[in-house]
Amino acid sequence: MGMHVFDTMGTTVSLRFAGATAPASVLDGVEGAFRAFDERFSLYRTDSEISRVARGELPLTRTGAELREAYAEALDWSRSTDGAFTPHRPDGVIDLSGTVKAKAMEAAARVLDSSGEADWMLVAGGDILTRGTLDGLPWRAGVVDPDDRGTLLCAVELVGRRIALATSGTAERGEHIWRTGDPRAPQRYRQVTVLADDIVTADVLATALVAGGPEHCPQLLNRFDIEAITVDNAGNLTATPGLQSTRGLTPA
Amino acid sequence: MRARALALSILSSAAVLTVGWQLGTQGQTSTAPDAAAPTTADSVTSDPTATATSRGGSTPSAAATPAPTPTATNGSVSAAAPASDGASGTFTGTSVQTRFGAVQVQLTVANGNITDVTALQLTDKDQRSVSISNRAAPVLRKEVLAAQSANVQGVSGATYTSDAYLSSLQSALDQAGH
Repeated sequence: MGMHVFDTMGTTVSLRFAGATAPASVLDGVEGAFRAFDERFSLYRTDSEISRVARGELPLTRTGAELREAYAEALDWSRSTDGAFTPHRPDGVIDLSGTVKAKAMEAAARVLDSSGEADWMLVAGGDILTRGTLDGLPWRAGVVDPDDRGTLLCAVELVGRRIALATSGTAERGEHIWRTGDPRAPQRYRQVTVLADDIVTADVLATALVAGGPEHCPQLLNRFDIEAITVDNAGNLTATPGLQSTRGLTPA
Repeated sequence: MRARALALSILSSAAVLTVGWQLGTQGQTSTAPDAAAPTTADSVTSDPTATATSRGGSTPSAAATPAPTPTATNGSVSAAAPASDGASGTFTGTSVQTRFGAVQVQLTVANGNITDVTALQLTDKDQRSVSISNRAAPVLRKEVLAAQSANVQGVSGATYTSDAYLSSLQSALDQAGH
């Protein structure tokens, strides 16, 4: 199994091939796909186009078509998730980091697809996108246990049309809410993993389910063609039918 | 089309858009016995989210379904400010295929505002009635999985900081090299 690891967008990308590693020209194309999104959309880069918008130097109407399209798409997601996903920071600044990593992964996948690479797994900061198989067996991804990030909660197979997996979570440990016994404290998700047909849907819905919490979970699950595993503040787990018997879990 | 979608996003109220989504599976052919309904239908067909969600949650495209009449663009904007002289009644949409099967919805409109959306028909491929359900049910941990022995090639987890990878299981897997 060949492998290529590189840093981009403030995280690390791991690209595995079932066979030999792709030629350097293909790997350059993959890195270039991420770099293009990084240079345009990363708020931590002061020279990015979106940072100029954030500082008020560049009106949205004079940004490039790519940025406006990405913003429009993010707004579509905001609407279709009833605002649970949002492309705005609390201070109102446009923040497209919720979608651009996944979009960069899609761009990288196009490079690999057009180069004839058939069997690979792309991991970018906890988001996973696959093609084909690993020597005839499904690619398999572990989901981090939010209570012990050194171990796995379960192992999910990426098979058939379900080739994209994303996990979102809240950094805060939620037990304090539980311990206070405050009946008004809403139960919240600490971590949500979404398995979908494409990585943008998986990434956005994982974020939206964490933000929307158990209250909005049923309608989001009915609205979108996804599978999900949730972990709430008290450590309770739920899974949609397609993931209830995934390795490491069993129906309650 | 992108610019229009952007303008719509800003102009339209959340409430209207929520209804717009719910109408998404209905398509544009709701029966329209009076002047109030076409406005509603236009807002649906111009809503790119509706197009996306009716495909089952695939990546939304801001390229909205082309509206059937030149007035559709205006119609979707006017939907953001519902007409005050709207009519009342119930309107039944056409049956539309979704990933859950056939769906047909009925709207209840009062004074130009949609007050209810009801699923009239929902059948699977064998024409049996089904309920839309992709419910998350409780599960339990069955075993403790160690990344290195669980035979996984990747690790999915939330990233909280830029150096999360350094302490992540993915890093361990990558260093193992296979």
